[in-house]
Amino acid sequence: MSELRALLADTTERVLARAPGWAQVEEAGLAKVLVPESEGGFGGNWEDALIVIRACGYHAVDLPLPEAILESSGAKDKALFAAMMLAAKMAGALQAALDLSVEYTRQRQQFGKPLASFQAIQQQLAVFAEETAAANMAVAAAFRAADRDDAWFEIACAKLRANQAARVSTGIAHQVHGAMGFTAEYRLQHLTRRLWKWGSEHGNERFWSDRIGARIAERGPENFWPDLTE
Amino acid sequence: MPGFDFPPFALPPQARALRGEVRAFLKDALADKPSVERARSWSGGSREFSRKLGKQGWIGMTWPKQYGGHERSYAERYVVIEELLVAGAPVGSHWVADRQSGPLLLRFGTEAQRERLLPAIAQGELCFCIGMSEPGAGSDLAAVRTRARRVDGGWKVSGQKIWTSNAQHADWMIALVRTGDAEQKHAGLSQLLVDMKSAGVTVKPIANLTGESHFNEVFLDDVFVPETMLIGAEGDGWRQVGAELAYERSGPERYLSSIRVFLEFLRVVGASPSEAERLLIGEMTARMWTLRQMSLSVVGKLAAGENPAVAAAVVKDLGTSLEQDIPRAVQAMAGPADDAFERTLSYLLQTSPSFSLRGGTREILRGIIARELGLR
Repeated sequence: MSELRALLADTTERVLARAPGWAQVEEAGLAKVLVPESEGGFGGNWEDALIVIRACGYHAVDLPLPEAILESSGAKDKALFAAMMLAAKMAGALQAALDLSVEYTRQRQQFGKPLASFQAIQQQLAVFAEETAAANMAVAAAFRAADRDDAWFEIACAKLRANQAARVSTGIAHQVHGAMGFTAEYRLQHLTRRLWKWGSEHGNERFWSDRIGARIAERGPENFWPDLTE
Repeated sequence: MPGFDFPPFALPPQARALRGEVRAFLKDALADKPSVERARSWSGGSREFSRKLGKQGWIGMTWPKQYGGHERSYAERYVVIEELLVAGAPVGSHWVADRQSGPLLLRFGTEAQRERLLPAIAQGELCFCIGMSEPGAGSDLAAVRTRARRVDGGWKVSGQKIWTSNAQHADWMIALVRTGDAEQKHAGLSQLLVDMKSAGVTVKPIANLTGESHFNEVFLDDVFVPETMLIGAEGDGWRQVGAELAYERSGPERYLSSIRVFLEFLRVVGASPSEAERLLIGEMTARMWTLRQMSLSVVGKLAAGENPAVAAAVVKDLGTSLEQDIPRAVQAMAGPADDAFERTLSYLLQTSPSFSLRGGTREILRGIIARELGLR
């Protein structure tokens, strides 16, 4: 990570971890991550923006920060890029739910030992970690593609993969948390209820599978691999 | 947790240029090869094909020139193996040697071993097999009992290996054996290069459920192995195996094994599939594209000199799940189709259960991931 990007990550974390108001976010300049330096912004690219948007999901911050970044970007296909923003928030929220689940199962004791020591729990959380890694990979690759050229395919795959990961992982998160995760007071529901909502917004699994499937079929088997590796 | 960090990795321009070259070569070399044979992927082997690839300079690509290698980048090697797998090339004869035995010798072997074996591997002349599993040591690999007893000028090796792929064709086995006491569980293990033509080596093929024989029992009865065939230091076997498994688990062969039936499905549904067919194609495409990004990221880690053991476990578990879901989902969705489709599907339905067993079971991989999460 470049020094500048590390600085952005530090600032983002410092501001968003404290349930900020819009004024604090503006003051920190997070909405201007894509705005050129000459115009008082950070002068970053989409990969820089990913750090900020993903952190909104991680910290369950509902401020219109992704929307402000998108507005400043000049991206033409606003609906497509809104799906990319949401996939990034989902990747962040999945990571937060995973961290919470790991922490909880290491503390909670039953049969005289931590839940984390049972293979039945370990194997489920391993799947959760894999799905979270996959969602984060898909999102990172989509944001990188957005800096390059037409990123329709990458963004479509990223939102779909994030939806798939959320479907599998939210179930595991609740299962390993037991009744505690089902309470209004405990933090898990702030993440999982957002993930369920976001799974429907800007394209659920059917929406994106259908479109990707139609495009792949139209191109035919002889182009599948060449297109994927282009 | 660094094991779950997958930074995007873009292939450099020279790797992209190489792709076209490989495609043209394979189009010619594999013309008329039927789909069901392509589906064999790295389970199928041909010495003749391996020699051809060797001549192209596409085996041992990243190794130093002094050992017959080509000093190409990991990214270039990645492109070549991706194209070989997608085309369904018969790479089985040199696959293990190129992927793990060669790199193992390069890293831990003696100078004499490297000079003798690496150039021949790079020419596609040598077939290696992996002597790890035993009747009592599968997932619990450290339980191996095959014993190497010191004698004048070397060792005498006695014991049994099992599930050894390609042993019936192999020139060499790299065998994990016990050189120390059984109480020294890990420290008592070493790796030896066993010449498969040695007296006392008996190979018995085991037919798998398709009726083909890929894996074998290998009986070692007082087999003499010269002193010079010890890899690295005595007692270093466990560490070597750990390094080797990262190579074994991280490649694109862990998510591409079923691509042939996916391509066949695309062929039979044509340009205007039903909605249900589109949904299946879209789901599998997104998973495959994501896995390819992850697999590329692992290449980036290898190129940076890291040991991506945990990342490799993540890719392999997600990848083999995809490889198993594809034939099952395609079967559930497919209408009546032609013989080429049916035979490819039938072959992959039958072989895909092995994908999450070979090279480390799903449960072992998830155990590695759980350890990285701090659960154990």
